[in-house]
Amino acid sequence: MKLIFDWLDDRSGYRNLLHEVLYEKVPGGARWRYVWGSCLTFAFFTQVVTGTLLWMFYSPSTQTAWESVYYLQYQVWGGWFLRGVHHYMAQAMIVLLVLHLMQVVIDGAYRAPRELNFWFGAMMMGVTLALSLTGYLLPWDQKGYWATAVATNLMAEVPWIGTAIQKIVVGGVEYGHHTLTRFFALHAGVLPAMLVGLVFVHIYLFRKHGIHVKEPRPKKDSYFWPDQILKDAIACLAVLFAVVALTVYFNGAPLGPPADPANEFPARPEWYFLFLFQLLKYVPAFWGAVIIPAFLVLWIFLQPFIGASRPGHQLNIGFWWTLIAGSVALTLLAFSEDRSNLRHAAALKEADWQAKRVLSIVQEEGIPPAGAVSLLRKDRENRGRNLFAAQCASCHRYNGHDGRGYPVDDTQSAPELAGFASVEWITKLLDHEHYISDEYFGGTDFKNGTMARKVLSKYTSEEKELLPRIALLLSDMAKLPYQDSLPEKEREELLALFYNDDLVFQDGLACIDCHDIDSEEEGYAPDLTGYGSDEWTVAFIKNPEDERFYGEENDRMPCYGRDSKLTDEEIQILSDWIRASPAN
Amino acid sequence: MSTDEEHSKDRRKFIRVATIGASAVCGLFPLVSGVPAVFDPVKKGAGKKSSVPWSRVAPLASLPEDGSPAKFEVIQEKVVDAWTTYKDIPVGAVYLTRTNNEVVAFNLKCPHLGCAIDYRKQTKDYFCPCHNSSFALDGSVTTENSPSPRPMDTMETKVEKGQVWIRFEHFRPNVADKIPLS
Repeated sequence: MKLIFDWLDDRSGYRNLLHEVLYEKVPGGARWRYVWGSCLTFAFFTQVVTGTLLWMFYSPSTQTAWESVYYLQYQVWGGWFLRGVHHYMAQAMIVLLVLHLMQVVIDGAYRAPRELNFWFGAMMMGVTLALSLTGYLLPWDQKGYWATAVATNLMAEVPWIGTAIQKIVVGGVEYGHHTLTRFFALHAGVLPAMLVGLVFVHIYLFRKHGIHVKEPRPKKDSYFWPDQILKDAIACLAVLFAVVALTVYFNGAPLGPPADPANEFPARPEWYFLFLFQLLKYVPAFWGAVIIPAFLVLWIFLQPFIGASRPGHQLNIGFWWTLIAGSVALTLLAFSEDRSNLRHAAALKEADWQAKRVLSIVQEEGIPPAGAVSLLRKDRENRGRNLFAAQCASCHRYNGHDGRGYPVDDTQSAPELAGFASVEWITKLLDHEHYISDEYFGGTDFKNGTMARKVLSKYTSEEKELLPRIALLLSDMAKLPYQDSLPEKEREELLALFYNDDLVFQDGLACIDCHDIDSEEEGYAPDLTGYGSDEWTVAFIKNPEDERFYGEENDRMPCYGRDSKLTDEEIQILSDWIRASPAN
Repeated sequence: MSTDEEHSKDRRKFIRVATIGASAVCGLFPLVSGVPAVFDPVKKGAGKKSSVPWSRVAPLASLPEDGSPAKFEVIQEKVVDAWTTYKDIPVGAVYLTRTNNEVVAFNLKCPHLGCAIDYRKQTKDYFCPCHNSSFALDGSVTTENSPSPRPMDTMETKVEKGQVWIRFEHFRPNVADKIPLS
């Protein structure tokens, strides 16, 4: 063995090199505050290795990016873990960057003769942030798509060449295949190569000037190996542990629903860019994209010179602390504004629903060549809730919201439709108080109609107790998928009640006197034959002004079919969706 | 040696071992975190003997009655390629020959190294244009020094309602036995 190593050393001189690397002097002894540079190198190394492995699975195109990431996350053995490590290590890197920067600033290690290395460090910070930004888009989910669109629009703010830069990065005007191929090339090729080069220069310059130590030296001098390396390695292990813990706790990195330019999503960048996002609420985009970054670059360039004097150094430290404090404050503000925004919470919930929905469809039928987004677009359940939100929710509600979970600004002026035609829903409908409340007809003319004034309000308490039985009969005709049908005998008993055969309703008035069931003639009030059934619901949505329903008494309910506001297929989807599940 | 010196020596040894150990964990971790994913294809293939589906190839009437071969695409109803599920797409091609109602199917791929085999009308034999393997109409190897270690690969066929069906699959190249790929 020794012979082989001797031979190798003879040809390469590796022992000298190793000695030089390991026996670097650490003036003042090994210290914990020096570990951040090594941790960053470790983090970057992890990103290069895991990133290369991820490369084996990733396919950059609008029909395969989300799909290949889905495959890695859910179908590949340990794929979620690999992806999770890459995702959380990227976040750890940002934290480590800030720690490293602050250590350098506080210790004054940015001043002469280390100015150059400080600038190189700042460049590396820029490249790292660019890596984060480009990586965020690659899974091509809603979050990445909408947030990155904001970032690339900011590029256009650069004077004269802004739109050209934007076009070069995006690969055109619209986001598409070329956006992904370019972002991928930047993320996996250009930027890492730049960072590797910068790391070498950075470490070379660091070695040239040595560790900057504050006098008087805390301990006697020691060497990089093993004292400092042990501290570095323990810190790296701590980073590794944190990343693995996050990965396991969150089951890897999140994957939202596939990107869809027609499906709105509130754009938010990763947490470490939130302060910039929040800042853009107060300053014009030009400031955020050009003036502030330009000022930062100039300031970083000048800092080593400003810091030459003691007050200058204090100013620099103050500057960075202020910047960090400001960023933290803006970040917290961004979080708290989002948290108190009901629409934002609903949008996140909706995206979560879509992500789960698309997964369940994919597991059932696979992903077609047109991509996963096509599954969601043609999914009847997804279309049902979207149709309800767009067409019905300005008057009706579904569990109090617009069908997808968003709050509605307009006041409710038509019945709540979650659990439509179920026993509970009809029972409430037949209760006078509910009938005239906003939950049912409070916002319509029917509030003062015959049913409310002359029928429901006149019932005695004994009669009221019979109404749930009428609800049972009516609801049975709806044949809702989540309700059992009535035994024939019970149905006949209930029909007798509908006809008031036993004269239990004291004024002798029967439901059948106004509403028909199974008869040819049209009554004064809506025909209840097959009430709430698929056929009834479709026909009603098509034309509520038909003699069979409200006729001339109709109050504002649009005739979606008669007036071609919706296609027959859309009306069918809507009816299926409304009838599919009980109220919450 | 005094105990103090020994103690200090032990301590230094411990530091060295701990440092190497911790560094090794950090150095290997990124690679190890991706090992399962990289080996996923091997794991997926292992121990899984999925049944080969029947694919429709062509109407029996479209096969020459004189027993000479004709080439057809094999259209599979459902093909899953990693994340994409395709419906009714070609998965390969076969030569079909017919004697009465019996149909023999040969995979287009050469058992040697997987080039596409040609049918030569003049000499009425099969010929691989890559490394010059040649096969008789019944698929057997014709030349002694043929690079192909086995006859052309046949697959199970059936005729139903005038349609030829086939269990299309590929086999391990360049071995004497016909071993299905999985």
